[in-house]
Amino acid sequence: MSDKALYRDVNENPCHMCMPMGGILPIKGVEGGMVVIHGSQGCSTYMRRYISEHFSEPIDVGSSSLNEKGTVYGGEKNLKQALDNIRKVYNPKLIGVLTTCLAETIGEDINRMADEYLVERQISDLTIVPVSTPGYGGTQAEGYFLTVREIVARLAQPTPKHNKVNVIVPNISPADIREIKRLLDLMGVEYTLCPDFSDTLDRPYLEHYSKMAPGGTKLEDIKAMPGALATIELGATIGDEYSPGQFLLDKYGVPLYTVPIPIGIKNCDTFFRAIKEITGKALPDSVRTERGRLLDAMVDSHKYNFAGRSVIFGEAELVYAVSQLCIENGVYPAVVATGGAGGKLAELLHPMVKECPEPVKVLPESDFSEIREKSSSAGVNIAIGHSEGRYLTEHENIPLVRIGFPVHDRVGGQRILSVGYTGTTLLLDRITNTLLESKYRTYREDMYNLYYKEDSGGLSATKDEVNSDGLHCMS
Amino acid sequence: MAITEEQLEEILAKYPSKLQKNRKKHIVINNADCGAQPIEANTRTAPGIITNRGCAYAGCKGVVLGPLKDMIHITHGPIGCAFYTWGARRNKAKSDDPTQNFINYCVSTDMQESDIVFGGEKKLAKVIDEVMENFHPKAITVSATCPVGLIGDDINAVAKAAEERHGIPVLAFSCEGYKGVSQSAGHHIANNGLMDRVIGAGDLEQASGKYPINILGEYNIGGDSWEIERILSDIGYQIVSVMTGDGSYEALKNAHVAELNLVQCHRSINYIAEMLEIKYGTPWLKVNFIGVKGTSDSLRNMAQYFGDPALIQRTEEVIAREVARIEPLMGQYKKVCEGKTAFCFVGGSRGHHYQGLFGELGIDTVLAGYEFAHRDDYEGREVIPDIKTDADSKNIPELHVEQDPNRFKLKLSPEKMAELKAKIPLSYYAGMHVDMKEGTIMVDDLNHYETEEFIKLLKPDIFASGIKDKYVVQKMGIPAKQIHSYDYSGPYAGFNGAVNFARDVSMGFASPTWNFIVPPWKEEPLLTGTVNEEGVA
Repeated sequence: MSDKALYRDVNENPCHMCMPMGGILPIKGVEGGMVVIHGSQGCSTYMRRYISEHFSEPIDVGSSSLNEKGTVYGGEKNLKQALDNIRKVYNPKLIGVLTTCLAETIGEDINRMADEYLVERQISDLTIVPVSTPGYGGTQAEGYFLTVREIVARLAQPTPKHNKVNVIVPNISPADIREIKRLLDLMGVEYTLCPDFSDTLDRPYLEHYSKMAPGGTKLEDIKAMPGALATIELGATIGDEYSPGQFLLDKYGVPLYTVPIPIGIKNCDTFFRAIKEITGKALPDSVRTERGRLLDAMVDSHKYNFAGRSVIFGEAELVYAVSQLCIENGVYPAVVATGGAGGKLAELLHPMVKECPEPVKVLPESDFSEIREKSSSAGVNIAIGHSEGRYLTEHENIPLVRIGFPVHDRVGGQRILSVGYTGTTLLLDRITNTLLESKYRTYREDMYNLYYKEDSGGLSATKDEVNSDGLHCMS
Repeated sequence: MAITEEQLEEILAKYPSKLQKNRKKHIVINNADCGAQPIEANTRTAPGIITNRGCAYAGCKGVVLGPLKDMIHITHGPIGCAFYTWGARRNKAKSDDPTQNFINYCVSTDMQESDIVFGGEKKLAKVIDEVMENFHPKAITVSATCPVGLIGDDINAVAKAAEERHGIPVLAFSCEGYKGVSQSAGHHIANNGLMDRVIGAGDLEQASGKYPINILGEYNIGGDSWEIERILSDIGYQIVSVMTGDGSYEALKNAHVAELNLVQCHRSINYIAEMLEIKYGTPWLKVNFIGVKGTSDSLRNMAQYFGDPALIQRTEEVIAREVARIEPLMGQYKKVCEGKTAFCFVGGSRGHHYQGLFGELGIDTVLAGYEFAHRDDYEGREVIPDIKTDADSKNIPELHVEQDPNRFKLKLSPEKMAELKAKIPLSYYAGMHVDMKEGTIMVDDLNHYETEEFIKLLKPDIFASGIKDKYVVQKMGIPAKQIHSYDYSGPYAGFNGAVNFARDVSMGFASPTWNFIVPPWKEEPLLTGTVNEEGVA
């Protein structure tokens, strides 16, 4: 579906980051989890900087600080030293070891090193999860899911059947995770949600600061995931090789329900249907009311939304769910883009975009140079995605609704709530109000240009001429 | 409030013994009775301590090359490194020719697994071709990331071939992240490349204006160099080039015509200043445009160097006018700040520069340090001959320059030079330690654990540092001030910058938010304080 005329080698203004970046988040979502990045120290410094800014939280990530000598003789000594030093100061329960371009290129066998380390130091109360995350191996989205998969694979043990449901969440905000937990609690569903960085990456102010953030999925609960009723994985787009749910299905026969992120009415319905199928629990009245309010909001806003022509970009999983929301509300996407291959995104979007009244460009492996060009030529008037989309605002005057990761030029990335019926309502309001804001900002000028400007074409103005606003073109 | 050696030992006791010994050498409690107090710096960071240091690529592409606005900077490597240096430093740039300002662009070869296996040279060559077609830049840089050196891509050969194809300079920088011990290595690699290939490439033989100068080691964070340039232009200086804030290939190639080089950030660029002196005979002056006194002193020293009475008079007029204008503003902020204490931990020179500005506001700096400085930045240039070159520094190629037979011009007679050196910091930097009071602490490569422990012990009122430690500090109930990126504020340099800084810091203290937040020690008697409390283990 991608209609790139010519293949370009250059990536100009990227729409994605690298694999180890994504790996840090899930480790921070495990009780007592600490991270060591095996590579040169710039990797951990850069990633901490972006994650810190998104969450407004301290992000302690160790580095094995490999230098030139390490590239020749291997980094084993450095890695073990890093583990020693981190254990002494942080006393973690789990350490995730993420590799980098450097470690992978020189062929570091981190699995062996991790196993040996535990034996050498005679440690039994620490889990080390090595994950192979070369920067050239995929985007942060693949790094995220692979790390969750490795955490589960490392900890899971044969467990007698119990009543819990495994819930695997993608890179959504702490507020989103809290919302999913609230809904599950309301329904009386017992669950193990992994990874749970809703507290660890969005800490309240407390009188005493502690180095290790309280919260995170309990290791005991992860160990018992194989005994669960089923796994619900909010990971419609991810390939099987990255899927923690697929691992639990293949190795332990835990039934897997793959659903999109519950953003948009259909996706929310799908999520709750899955819960009902697994647990027999129906939507409680209070949540049914939330659904009703969303429908009410959709009706109230439909006339404004229908004037929206959107570009949606970011991690494939979020892009997929947000596209669904936009299509449901007439904010038809003109461009849907992701920086990496995007897993099953293009294939999943295909039937959806066929229903759209105007052509939709689906752009995997894209960059902002392409996104900008296609958005501009398609008359896009609203952008939905992470902070890098600000360039669309600066250069093309397309306003940006911030969602996803990273949001580093505004505060509150950790508090953006978009899931469930209520979260969807809030997100939809943000989209609608952004459209209204543009409308109000340019309304007088547009009207003047249309009716009073000397050389205006009056009512015969072409669609292109009012497209700077774009709102009028279809209203 | 000073700390004792015993208290320091107590902090370090948490470390494994080997690390205790290592870290001890990076921490000095200033004590005049001890005579010279050497500090260990620019050595390897111990793995696993949560350092704030970056890598050679960060120093090269991220810090030094990135601000050069009319060049396209290609990151040769997987996507992450390029993304992470995309506008992250808030180095601003404006251009008279909007088609030649690429400051907002991030360009990468986005290497994939197949490129690692089969080599990335062809892809790099194609990317250079595409960049030429899309942007028509005046020059291009290529910065290497970790895998590039490991798989043996010859970026120099690719760059050379591209130069021949396109007829513009294509500069290759082997700044793989694993080189050296911090971003300092990258500054060297970048600056050496600019010295070797760009400075002197222009045709100018003489500056067009009076008192031509270069500003070295100023990166225009939040508009700092614009404020500095405002003052210098007002006095009558011609700014030939800035390395590299709001800088350009076009300006830098004629940097050789300057008559004086100002060094703002000693760490990242003092060696280039020395090379410029050897090659073109241009002396360098250490300046500090942070703070009213720092700025005024620097302006006076510059005027003395040129020695022209009209210039000296104009300098005094501008200083008098600016000081009279900002004094009332500073006065009101001083009332809020007086008597407070600060930690000041930044990169290479700001850890020192901001102490002066804090002092003008009545704030005492009780702990300071640098992320990636060398010993001379702490102890002064006297120690340079004593600095041992270790294996990590040796692998950064040294650039040796010689006198330029055509362009070398002695700007001052040796006698005049000696006379001036006695009065102003020509070719000299005294380091941070001279400005620090007895009992204060210098910490090199401060990490998260030590940050917390020193805060518990010294209870500063404000912590000036960066984004990575900002939230630790704020979670401890103390205002933090980002001195790397200024929390989206600035400029902080020059006279207007001092007011901006005073306003922002005062706001940090005066915000009503703090009425709801009480750091634990403010409620507990000091003696039973929780110095060693670890929180959750």
